[in-house]
Amino acid sequence: MNHLEEKYLQPLMHTGSKYYLTVVVLGLIITWALYAYFYQLIYGLGVTGMNTPTYWGFYIVNFIFFIGLSAGGVIVASLVHAFNIQKFKSVARIAELLAISCLVLATIFITLDLGRPDRIWHLLVYGRLGSPLIWDVIVITTYLLVSLAYGYFGTRADLVKCMGAIPQKRRLYWFLALGYTNTSEKALRGDRKILRGLAIIALPLAVALHSVTAWIMGLLKARPGWHSALLGPLFVVSATVSGLALVSLVVVLGRKLLKLAIKDEIVKALGSLLFFTIPILGYFLFAELLTVTFAGEPAALGIFQEMVYGHFAFVFWFNLILGLLVPFVILAFPRARTDFGVGIASLLVVLGVLAERWNITIPSQLHADHFLPYPHGVYNLTWVEYSLVAGVYALGVLFFAICAKLFPLVEIEEGTPPEERVPSLAEVKKS
Amino acid sequence: MARWGMVIDLDRCTACQACTVACVAENNQPVAGPQESQKGRNIFWNQVLAIVEGEYPLVKARFLPRPCMHCDEPPCVQVCPVGATYKRDDGLVAQNNDLCIGCRYCMVACPYGVRYFNWKQPEYPTIENLNPDVPLRPKGVVEKCTFCVHRIEAAKVKAQAEGRELRDGDVKTACQQTCTGGAIYFGDLEDPNSQVAKLAKEQRAFRLLEELGTKPRVIYLGEG
Repeated sequence: MNHLEEKYLQPLMHTGSKYYLTVVVLGLIITWALYAYFYQLIYGLGVTGMNTPTYWGFYIVNFIFFIGLSAGGVIVASLVHAFNIQKFKSVARIAELLAISCLVLATIFITLDLGRPDRIWHLLVYGRLGSPLIWDVIVITTYLLVSLAYGYFGTRADLVKCMGAIPQKRRLYWFLALGYTNTSEKALRGDRKILRGLAIIALPLAVALHSVTAWIMGLLKARPGWHSALLGPLFVVSATVSGLALVSLVVVLGRKLLKLAIKDEIVKALGSLLFFTIPILGYFLFAELLTVTFAGEPAALGIFQEMVYGHFAFVFWFNLILGLLVPFVILAFPRARTDFGVGIASLLVVLGVLAERWNITIPSQLHADHFLPYPHGVYNLTWVEYSLVAGVYALGVLFFAICAKLFPLVEIEEGTPPEERVPSLAEVKKS
Repeated sequence: MARWGMVIDLDRCTACQACTVACVAENNQPVAGPQESQKGRNIFWNQVLAIVEGEYPLVKARFLPRPCMHCDEPPCVQVCPVGATYKRDDGLVAQNNDLCIGCRYCMVACPYGVRYFNWKQPEYPTIENLNPDVPLRPKGVVEKCTFCVHRIEAAKVKAQAEGRELRDGDVKTACQQTCTGGAIYFGDLEDPNSQVAKLAKEQRAFRLLEELGTKPRVIYLGEG
């Protein structure tokens, strides 16, 4: 094994006790969530905080949140292939892996929310093309397939290399590569062509994915606060910002915890990209809120007031100040675009967008008196919702942790200059 | 074919809520109990809404019985992913509880809030008094006012057996039958001679949230 491959394969060879501890803790959280899910299955959705009029609760908040988070994959892929910025190639696999896992988690959340999960196959058999929910089923499935294909074609050459480098796991890599073993220059060029094609398809598909998810809500005239033409574009922008932030966060954590061979300049570049996208989201939120306040239509205005200085004020100002303003200020200083700075900023952005998702979903429903004089609703999360959400988050982290040990998360690059060389495994063990 | 519709004369409504109770009994609606009721888990297909205007002492309360509007442009049917809720030829917005996956999309789409979800396994005060004409719903599905479709079907069968056409007044919904003030009328809006069709032409007639373009089939007669 040469030093180059060792640099990339080190996380695969070396597994510390902390790693196993993390896996055990995640497993425990998931087991507990499974218990909570059976409890919910037996007693019905009444064990959550949802009610009349809060028909959609924290599960749907997380559904739209994770659909948004999946955007990182397509952003990085298009940076590499459409804009030809090759340096982002080293994070392309992480981004794609995040996209795939976020989409799967989103699908899990929508399943958790169903009153009759045993009938989920009705969506395929009795699906009505007129329903925005079916549009979303179609676009999520397509996008997931494209992401999986992108992940496969971007990884298989490295899997073949792993076959040679780690002979004891040869079978596993042969299986992951679906039996593919060709690493000739011609085959690699073919792979790159396929990746480019997939990246070109993925970009419009991503816009469709986030817009359709927004339209599930935005097309409903019964819901002031949702019913807005801006909701589609707002979701696309929120997705871009949160997806980028998630990729940055995972890159920073991966460098720290898994010692991934990602260069400093990538972190810097991700930080500055995030810096330029945050104000776009701020602008969209401002445009929406200005329209609502200026027009002063009672229904929409009531929801807005509840957000700004009512029941949801904390979530609203958290989103605005800690989720947008603070990260923007941190990232404004090029010197702050370090692991720590970018890590904190992107964590805040991700949490801020979660808060934004909450304030999109919940207030419009609690205010049941838009049109008819129903009493205001209340929505308090229960232990079942907390447990299930924590369990699904844990599942995502576990999936990522397992992938980190299965194959190299960073593309194995040929011809890295010698000064970039990290100490070999033998040297690490000695010191 | 008849196109069913309802007229509710608010001048005659006394807000006694007998319609709500009659509807619960007729249509086997589960009872939530005090605890779940506090959490907003009640099921009342026909609910009487209170509209309080002004401040004490210049206060006025209005009341509004609210069944399903059976809209001609129903937002719930538009969004249902599996076609569990659909528009029948006779104007009814029906719910197929064997298809419903419990996503509650129709509930967020309905501007009138007429749809109810079975948050838990339905419970009934007594099993013996359940109405055999109305199917029970399992937990995890959405249910709503049917315009007493079982009574409509029974009236059709009866008329057929007697070898005659369905007459105005043959079908009485449970809420109409029990209404203490006689405020509720039910019949064929398509038939110009029916009582509902005549009442619908009155000066006082209005529909709820007409501006949304849902074209409700429930017509209210405003208080004079």
